[in-house]
Amino acid sequence: MVDGRGAIRFHPEGIDVPFVPGESLLAHAIRGGVPLLSPCGGESRCGKCRVLVSGGTRGGEEPGTLTRAEIASGIRLACRCFPTEGEVSVTILPGSRPARLAAYLDGTDLAGDEPFLPLSRAASGGVPLGVALDLGTSTLAGTLVDLSDGTVLSRATADNPQMACGEDLISRVVFAEETTGGFELLRGRLLSGVDGLVRRLLETSPAQGEITDVVAAGNTVISHFLYGISPSPIRRPPYHPVRKEYPIVPGETLGTGPATARAMWRIFPSLGGFVGGDVVAGILASGMHRQEEVSLLFDVGTNGEVVLGNRDWRIACSSSAGPAFEGGEVGCGMRAYPGAIESVRIDPESSAAEWTAIGRVRPAGLCGSGILDLCAELFRAGIVDRGGRFTSRDGDGRRSTERGEAFVVVPGEKSATGRDVVFCESDLKSVLRTKAALCAAAEALLAAVGLPREAVARVYVAGGFGNFLDLRSALTIGLFPPIPLARFAPLGNASLAGALGALRNRRRWKEALSLASGTLYHDLSSDPGFMELYQRGLFLPHTDEESYRSVLAAEVRVYP
Amino acid sequence: MALTAIDIYKLLPKTNCKECGQPTCLAFAMQIAAGKASIELCPPASEEAKEKLSAAAAPPLPKVTIGTGEREVVLGDETVLFRHEKTFYHPTAIAVSIRDDGSDEEFASRLAAIRRLSFERVGQRIAVDLVALRCASGEAGRYARAAAAAFEATGLPLVLFAPAGPLAAAVEAVAPSRPLLVPTPEDLLPAAKLAAERKLPLWVRAGGIEGLSVALADARAAGAVSLVADPSPETPRDAVSLATDLRRLAILGRVRDLAYPSAFDLGGGFPDPFLAAALLVAKYGSLLVLDSADPADLLPLLTLRQNLFTDPQRPIQVEAGVYAIGTPSESSPVLITTNFSLTYFTVRGDSEAAKVPAYLLIADVDGMSVLTAWAAGKFTGESISKMLAECGIGEKVSHRTLILPGMVARLSGRIEELSGWRVLVGPQESSALPSYLRRLPPAAFLPVHG
Amino acid sequence: MSVTLPIPVFPGRILEVTLPAGPGGTPVTVGGQNALPLLPEGEHPNAPAVGMEVPTGTLELPAALAAAIGPFAGDPVAMARKCAGDWGARFLFLSLAGCHPDGGGLSVSEGAAVVREVLSATPAPVIIGGCGDEEVDALLFPAVAEAAGRPVFLSYAEEKNHRLVAGAALAYGHGVVAWSPIDINMAKQMNLLLADLGFPPDRVLIDPLTGGLGYGMEYTFTIVERIRIAGLSGDAALARPILCHLGDAWKAREATDASEEAWGDVGARGPRWEETTGLACLGAGADLLVCRHPSSVARLAGAAWR
Repeated sequence: MVDGRGAIRFHPEGIDVPFVPGESLLAHAIRGGVPLLSPCGGESRCGKCRVLVSGGTRGGEEPGTLTRAEIASGIRLACRCFPTEGEVSVTILPGSRPARLAAYLDGTDLAGDEPFLPLSRAASGGVPLGVALDLGTSTLAGTLVDLSDGTVLSRATADNPQMACGEDLISRVVFAEETTGGFELLRGRLLSGVDGLVRRLLETSPAQGEITDVVAAGNTVISHFLYGISPSPIRRPPYHPVRKEYPIVPGETLGTGPATARAMWRIFPSLGGFVGGDVVAGILASGMHRQEEVSLLFDVGTNGEVVLGNRDWRIACSSSAGPAFEGGEVGCGMRAYPGAIESVRIDPESSAAEWTAIGRVRPAGLCGSGILDLCAELFRAGIVDRGGRFTSRDGDGRRSTERGEAFVVVPGEKSATGRDVVFCESDLKSVLRTKAALCAAAEALLAAVGLPREAVARVYVAGGFGNFLDLRSALTIGLFPPIPLARFAPLGNASLAGALGALRNRRRWKEALSLASGTLYHDLSSDPGFMELYQRGLFLPHTDEESYRSVLAAEVRVYP
Repeated sequence: MALTAIDIYKLLPKTNCKECGQPTCLAFAMQIAAGKASIELCPPASEEAKEKLSAAAAPPLPKVTIGTGEREVVLGDETVLFRHEKTFYHPTAIAVSIRDDGSDEEFASRLAAIRRLSFERVGQRIAVDLVALRCASGEAGRYARAAAAAFEATGLPLVLFAPAGPLAAAVEAVAPSRPLLVPTPEDLLPAAKLAAERKLPLWVRAGGIEGLSVALADARAAGAVSLVADPSPETPRDAVSLATDLRRLAILGRVRDLAYPSAFDLGGGFPDPFLAAALLVAKYGSLLVLDSADPADLLPLLTLRQNLFTDPQRPIQVEAGVYAIGTPSESSPVLITTNFSLTYFTVRGDSEAAKVPAYLLIADVDGMSVLTAWAAGKFTGESISKMLAECGIGEKVSHRTLILPGMVARLSGRIEELSGWRVLVGPQESSALPSYLRRLPPAAFLPVHG
Repeated sequence: MSVTLPIPVFPGRILEVTLPAGPGGTPVTVGGQNALPLLPEGEHPNAPAVGMEVPTGTLELPAALAAAIGPFAGDPVAMARKCAGDWGARFLFLSLAGCHPDGGGLSVSEGAAVVREVLSATPAPVIIGGCGDEEVDALLFPAVAEAAGRPVFLSYAEEKNHRLVAGAALAYGHGVVAWSPIDINMAKQMNLLLADLGFPPDRVLIDPLTGGLGYGMEYTFTIVERIRIAGLSGDAALARPILCHLGDAWKAREATDASEEAWGDVGARGPRWEETTGLACLGAGADLLVCRHPSSVARLAGAAWR
């Protein structure tokens, strides 16, 4: 029992949350809107919800995750810690607070020399404005456009507040099913995240006006939440979404805030349970649906979607690759914001690592592109073998940690936290699984239609690595199939670019609807060949290493 | 089908009109490539497309059926040379022989021995499929009576080895049971006519592929349609070679005139019949006749057949249940994971490496890995609690603590709620099991009172 | 009418690997073929070889096995001589299961001594099997590698311990059996990892894990077929001889249980169980078989056509 105050106080904000018996500290935080990282959605998997507790609590002293020193000093995992008695005061540790992304908007612009054909006429009062949104699983991104002449007025990003209820989509669907009021909570968080983003766009815009149109791209689960549709059927056989096309409605029907309540909202159609409007928007941005040549499109993120096809036919799937390239599942992983190492080189002689971090500040961890580089460099330098295990070389910048042997990327004295930034075998295993799933998804699509890899003329890469992506590193570890580097075209945030394109040219919106109906959804979980392709990918760069060698030539050094 | 989906797609109208019931032409092409749809479903398809795709869709190895009803035996109808390319559809049929020239007691006793060649393994019935009746007496009447008696006693379809006269008599007696007619090579023509008239399957025996080519043509000319081909090998080695030739002719060569299920008589003094039979079950033998009724021979052969003719695309699973690691006691830890064989081998291996005796519960999730099974709703708080209650682990240990794979830590609350067991969250990676198990406090496994 | 048989022609060839013998003995060479097994096409310079297991430690032999090898099984030297002699095994698989803590508790040095004795007692080629306990094997393999007076093969190296086993083998000129759990990709990965360590490919055998008849044999069958086809089709890392240890067949109830009358005489059934497992492996492409029952040797050797 908690004392008469009946509330848990969260610091540093000083927020009081009413005590509910039987609920963990994390659940209290979520309910009270206290920002606390919980990528695994409270499922006690990630170890990131660290808090400093004083007062009567039980639990949360996970010996596998917290060190003895941490436990002794009062640090607990909020998801496993329950308040029992007396005053309870909880301080969110710095490493457990979500933060803002630096730059996440380098999408290719679709406009080019296209005519400007906005969706709406001028608004009743003032300048007509349009908002293009990318409703990502982890990050929301938006662009504000002057619909009278097509100028981009402002850009913004924000974390998707649904993250606290689950980092991946399945976790969120489960949360919606199993927590009382979970669906409404998730829906509300999405809407409030979107409203907050729109507010920022307006605040930072040089021109004011009235938002008349919003075009949004999100995956199927997110689109369902937005429309108030339960996404549960997606999780159960036959894994079909409740709907794939979403009616055009004013924002107030969806429950959005006043800024967009009267605007007409268009959400890109979904292709299937796990491939949504964000991929449709990405296809639109790439232009692969207008070309005769066959292309691959990768959207590298937690869902790891892949599309294969051309103007006549397209087939798409989701590999559920895992968040390793978004900073999840990897101990030193973080999203691409200041302090994130985005590029790494390792000297093969000394095993010393050099890095560049976003914002040129002391590094706190690695973002997707940094993790990719690190893995490629460890392999090139012979520090790990093809299976991702450390080799037995001495003087390797390695030390042992609670999570096993690890490579020290940044020694404590140079890091932002004062602790070593380390990368261990199980982190590399997470990366291996992510990249194997993505690569296998592409191979599965090629096998499903019966095309050889050589038939792919172009490879578009979209996704949340951060500011850029080193293709050589990608092929060194086998993130993509061994296709000549010259055929690759990085797109940045293609979903946002597609939304923007549709906002500025109404023909693009119609094009999106039409390309969606002509794109086949391929369910990998029922593809009998996928697991084998996946197993083949769990090797650096791949079990079929011969093809990678010819693509990379001198890039990959085999450990002598 | 040798054509890929994209090859087929190129022959289609590409309008995505959906008349075939598929969302796009590519989807339809993929269905055709998988053998799951026919070009007939596409009204706007061109004549050229229809012609090309119908030809390609015809089965390379036709089906032959012997017997009727529940005991019907199906031969042929295969599409691949190796089971991993897709699967083998029709298991090698096995016949055990009986002669018609013994005493009534001998005859009855032999039939009884054949009936006993029926076993149950892993929930399936495996048994000899046919009775081969050899005409040793030479007497039509006796043979016909023996045929009727054999069918009556066993209910199994018959393979009738006899010269023309007795064969015809036996057909009169048992035609409705749809026996397979096995004439001597000299009697092929009258037997073929009989087979044609009565619509019965016919065994065509000749020397080698060349001989078969002629004999099969003769049988067809006489009107017989349902044929099995016996190239009359003299050694097990020849048998494997000829069976392979026949299968390749059908599937690779698409030589329709030689595309028939293969049949081999491994009795009557054939050298090393067991060896030949085992190899032919693995390599393209459609129907085998054996003189041995010894279960020590038949049980392994039937098991071999059962193994090789399962669908290789089903994920490798191990049997669900309670497994002991080392010699666990009533206070040993209890772990749980899924029955995907790789998961099982890995977790088991890592548990054994820990040198901590324990119980490993293997849950039946259709052979999926832990995360896949969870996402598919097969490895849930409910299913795990059910297993805890039903698998008998409660009698083996005096504590009630379960170690759950770290990947599904989220299930711990529900399991505790439903089962009353206490749940410890194990490591995410099975490779961390040794250090995890060694660090477990023994207090976690004290007996539960009451 | 003349019929043209469609015979596939393969671009690859399986690497020849030799298991060396002692002075006066006959080495065993396998591999070298460029076609599928059991068929009279292509070149098959070497027939598959059938060997026998020499056990150590405390044994609980099923009746059918005990009847045949009981008198010798307790003495590895006598057993080795009998296997290589009267029973016709072309090579021996000396299993050091006796060094497993639950297998008889032979010490590492006692295991090494057995190796020395057996290798001097007969010149037949020998593969030495570890005890299966990770910690003991970590000491056993190096000790045995050193103790062996002539080149042998060490069984087995797997992903977790391949550096240790390959290291011991390299240091003393031995070969290695590369093991994977019924997975063609892991089989290939093992060979790539060994190559990265500089291990000579012609001193490596593939062991894909052989499930006994009725207990997973079909998985082995398919993996062996696939490995063989891949190797013949040009995948060099899989173009290697394959070893199938038939011991798992004896774990089957059907091989050992005498109580089921309907199953026939267990004395005949047990060896048949091992033999059938072996025949399936030969049909899939196995180049080396290890049996426990003497009658299997003769029967399988009779089917090991070139």
